[in-house]
Amino acid sequence: MTDPLLIFDVILGLAIVALAVAVLAMHDRFAMIVLFIVFGLLSALAWVRLSAPDVALAEAAIGTGLTGALLLTTLHHIRATPPAPVPVPAGAIIANLGLCGLIFGGLVVAFLSTPLQAPGLALPVAQNMEASGVAHPVTAVLLNFRAYDTLMEVVVLLAAIVAVWMVERGTAQAPSPVMGEIYRGFARLALPAIVIIGTYLLWVGAYAPGGAFQGGAVLAAVGLLLLLSRLYRPQPAHRPLARLGFVLGTAVFAGIALLVASGGRVPFEYPAAHAKTLILLIEGMVTISIAVTLAALFHGREPEYASVSENHK
Amino acid sequence: MIPALSIILIVLLLATLGGLIRVFRGPEPAERMLAAQLFGTASVAMLLILSQVMEMPALLDVALVFALLAAVTLVCFVVLAAKEDR
Repeated sequence: MTDPLLIFDVILGLAIVALAVAVLAMHDRFAMIVLFIVFGLLSALAWVRLSAPDVALAEAAIGTGLTGALLLTTLHHIRATPPAPVPVPAGAIIANLGLCGLIFGGLVVAFLSTPLQAPGLALPVAQNMEASGVAHPVTAVLLNFRAYDTLMEVVVLLAAIVAVWMVERGTAQAPSPVMGEIYRGFARLALPAIVIIGTYLLWVGAYAPGGAFQGGAVLAAVGLLLLLSRLYRPQPAHRPLARLGFVLGTAVFAGIALLVASGGRVPFEYPAAHAKTLILLIEGMVTISIAVTLAALFHGREPEYASVSENHK
Repeated sequence: MIPALSIILIVLLLATLGGLIRVFRGPEPAERMLAAQLFGTASVAMLLILSQVMEMPALLDVALVFALLAAVTLVCFVVLAAKEDR
């Protein structure tokens, strides 16, 4: 008798591959988005089955919740109908197949050449947990042992919002999107719950799956709901505040690294006595930045003066 | 270990995969979107069972996030779809 969970895993794996093919094969753009959301849900389940609840949390918050909303508004912005698909020359298909085959072959070789019983880096992480200041290994790796990578990830978001605001300046004449009415009672009910869950995820990251990215993504949903229900309308006067929000996480993260470095240490080598405080401070600020940036990306434009657009920046 | 729970898991997964037919055939956007919502609800159920089977309480948090954010996607859809009707 095989383990029923194995059957579950096989069905899940096959469904994910089939969905990936279906997303690419669909012609209806809305159906593609819906399939992509479902794809995200199933991959979150797959991460759970791989015993990676941290990744599953991030996938649940970013992959299914926010990406779905972002894609839907993007579809809403696109007014042009897609041109009829141009037949692809056979040469291009063969070249693509060859390249994909090469990548697949490389992955197979890499997979087969991995030693089966490799100890990995779990042991060194476990041995140095006391020095990290937190009790959850994933948070220790992300915010302490490999903090430089995490800093760069925060910078990626900052670069994205800078690019979006710059592009929008070039096409300032684009009409702002029109949105329908929704029942605001839902927003009033859901907003407090989302705020609490987002903050909880940030706090729990010190000793269990959670942390800045997951908490920030959930808190960004607050911004989305406020924008969608028009309980908050972006004002040009709020731009400095928004800019501060975008930069806050990167600034505090890099600032603390520089401060630590000025004390004669390696940049991200936090003194063990203050490690927990510093990590929590960084995570808190990064959470705010992620939430503000994701919500601003959803809005997709810099708040403009409605009619007095003569005083161009 | 708990075969009954595992079998419920498989049934849930198969039932939701059946909902994919609505996503493919449509034809209304609302029908496709609601099929995706069915996936969200079933995923919450599967996560709750998995948290028992795999003995990972942290999965309850994942289920919580799923439940909250699925509603946000739906609100986004409703707001944008309402405009197209006009």
